[in-house]
Amino acid sequence: MITLLPFSLCLIAFNCFALAKYNHFKDVFNKRPTQQQRLILLSVAWISILLSLLLCVNQLQGYGGLQFCGYMTLSALIVMIFYSFLVRLTKLFNLLILVILAMSTLFFGLNGL
Amino acid sequence: MKGSFFRSMTWLHTWVGLLVCWLLYLIFFAGTISFFRDEVSLWNQPSIHNIEQQTDRIGAQKQQIITGVEYLNAQAPNAPNWRITLPEERIPYLTYGFAKPKEPGQRRASFNNSRLDPNTMQPLPPFVDTRGGNFFYRLHFDLHYIDVKTARWIVCFASLFMLIALISGIVIHKRIFKDMFVFRANKGSRSWLDVHNLSSVFALPFHLMITYTGIITLIFMLFPHPVNTVYEEGMTGFFKDFSPSNPINNKAKGEAELVPMKTILDQVYTKWPNADINRVMISNPNKAAATIMVLVSPGKALRDQTPRLIFNGVTGELIAQTDDELTGSKALYESLNSMHTGRFAEPLLRGLYFLGGIAGCIMIATGCIMWAKRLRERMKKNTQPSWGLKLVEGLNLGTLMGLPLATSAFFLANRLLSKQVAERADKEILAFFLTWLCVFIIAFVKRDKLQWCVMAAINSIACFSVPVVNALTTEGNIIQYLRNDQWALFMFDSLFLLFGLLFLLQTEKLRTGLQTKKRLHISTQEQKI
Repeated sequence: MITLLPFSLCLIAFNCFALAKYNHFKDVFNKRPTQQQRLILLSVAWISILLSLLLCVNQLQGYGGLQFCGYMTLSALIVMIFYSFLVRLTKLFNLLILVILAMSTLFFGLNGL
Repeated sequence: MKGSFFRSMTWLHTWVGLLVCWLLYLIFFAGTISFFRDEVSLWNQPSIHNIEQQTDRIGAQKQQIITGVEYLNAQAPNAPNWRITLPEERIPYLTYGFAKPKEPGQRRASFNNSRLDPNTMQPLPPFVDTRGGNFFYRLHFDLHYIDVKTARWIVCFASLFMLIALISGIVIHKRIFKDMFVFRANKGSRSWLDVHNLSSVFALPFHLMITYTGIITLIFMLFPHPVNTVYEEGMTGFFKDFSPSNPINNKAKGEAELVPMKTILDQVYTKWPNADINRVMISNPNKAAATIMVLVSPGKALRDQTPRLIFNGVTGELIAQTDDELTGSKALYESLNSMHTGRFAEPLLRGLYFLGGIAGCIMIATGCIMWAKRLRERMKKNTQPSWGLKLVEGLNLGTLMGLPLATSAFFLANRLLSKQVAERADKEILAFFLTWLCVFIIAFVKRDKLQWCVMAAINSIACFSVPVVNALTTEGNIIQYLRNDQWALFMFDSLFLLFGLLFLLQTEKLRTGLQTKKRLHISTQEQKI
């Protein structure tokens, strides 16, 4: 469960990067994102991806950076599959990642305390 | 200027990639399998499938070493070397081995190994003669039939070409971020380009890391001059300095009793209280010149060389050890090497390495196909394809379809060849290369869509047959592996089923394409009539 947190953060990050693009945002929400929405999405994406890297390095030390690269590959692949083939399910997918992120954060927090 | 720069980079990317793409595909393919070298070796040895994981593996090591020394002392007191290889998470059995006297012309002594179940300490049934995962590991950089040094030079040049292709690819990919998640299906060349771009971009850090560190692993072969200048003995002198296993040159004469192993192990556990010992090597046992080397797992540290302690085998005195704190250059070399091999990576990271490797294979394969496809599209109607195009198409079919089929043949041969066959391991390898040769012959005779379709169908059947033949020839099967938590074996069979399914989908797709083409051809002819 602890390893799920950096992965879900990475997934959130790539999802936000995808949503920050006009075409993908329009595919999902049927409207163009405002400049402010794009800025928020990009900020969330960058914060998440950096947090993911920090957690990976913290958990695995030397191999953490490599694990982070692997998570990026897997996340980008999953996001591409949803935005290219399963656009209808993207909202559900976003919700699912948020649930996973919340659960893994809770687990991480409880273990850390 | 801008236009010409991009054009020249595109030219460089195309030609640098095309010249070595088939060799790179082989290197990537074998390297990707090598990430699971121990798991492949496990699958290839059915006699160790049912060894249960030890409940306290590290706790049992001390007694296993003491028992091992007693066993070897009774079996071969005068052997030149003893070796105790302890079970690891991915290698479930215990090995006690002693070196046989070298035969004339033999470079390294062969070992007589007794393999035991670490839970019961009972000998395991005889192993089948197979190279297992080591075959793919060596194939990755030794290319099997070619002289080792020549092969490594070839692999180095191919890696260098790959690095150039990657960097020039980044330069020419103008929409690297804009099209990051875009895949346009059923759009001909555009779809191929999308797959090529996506497989490159998604795993770009992995591709850059694995290619660069791959060159670094052979850096002393590529650039020997600094070492040769500094060390009188050249490379030998350098590695003596680099690794503490080499300066041991105990010239003491006569016989002497070996120090009790407990004394040695107490020192090891004093230095590293939670030591996970991998191996104990004793040279010149029962001689005054005896030395004992204890190798332990580096854990999470990015180190390729296993940390080790070396003791005098008679007095028990510590005489050499690996550095606890590495110098900057040593740490850099060690970390780059271990990044490439991922030798001590956790299963999850190993899986991610595998994913990166697959992305690399897809990137190279789509690159190969795209070149031929674009040239075909540009060709005028009723013109004959050039010799170069025929060669590329033949190499594409032979390599991209031949290698997976040869791999299935290797594993099928492992299960179907009789255990008593002489030089069995070589015959498994022969099955691999003969299958590959057959595909190449077919590819050079004809390489149309029909041949791709047939090859995909054969590959699908071969992939599905690996777990089936395994179930028929051994006591286990994929369902049992799942029920008994034998994850390595379960994943092995599952991957073959998955790839079988993918090849089946490819067959269906190609068959539909062929039928559409045929229908179009008939309707055109009818219109003409």
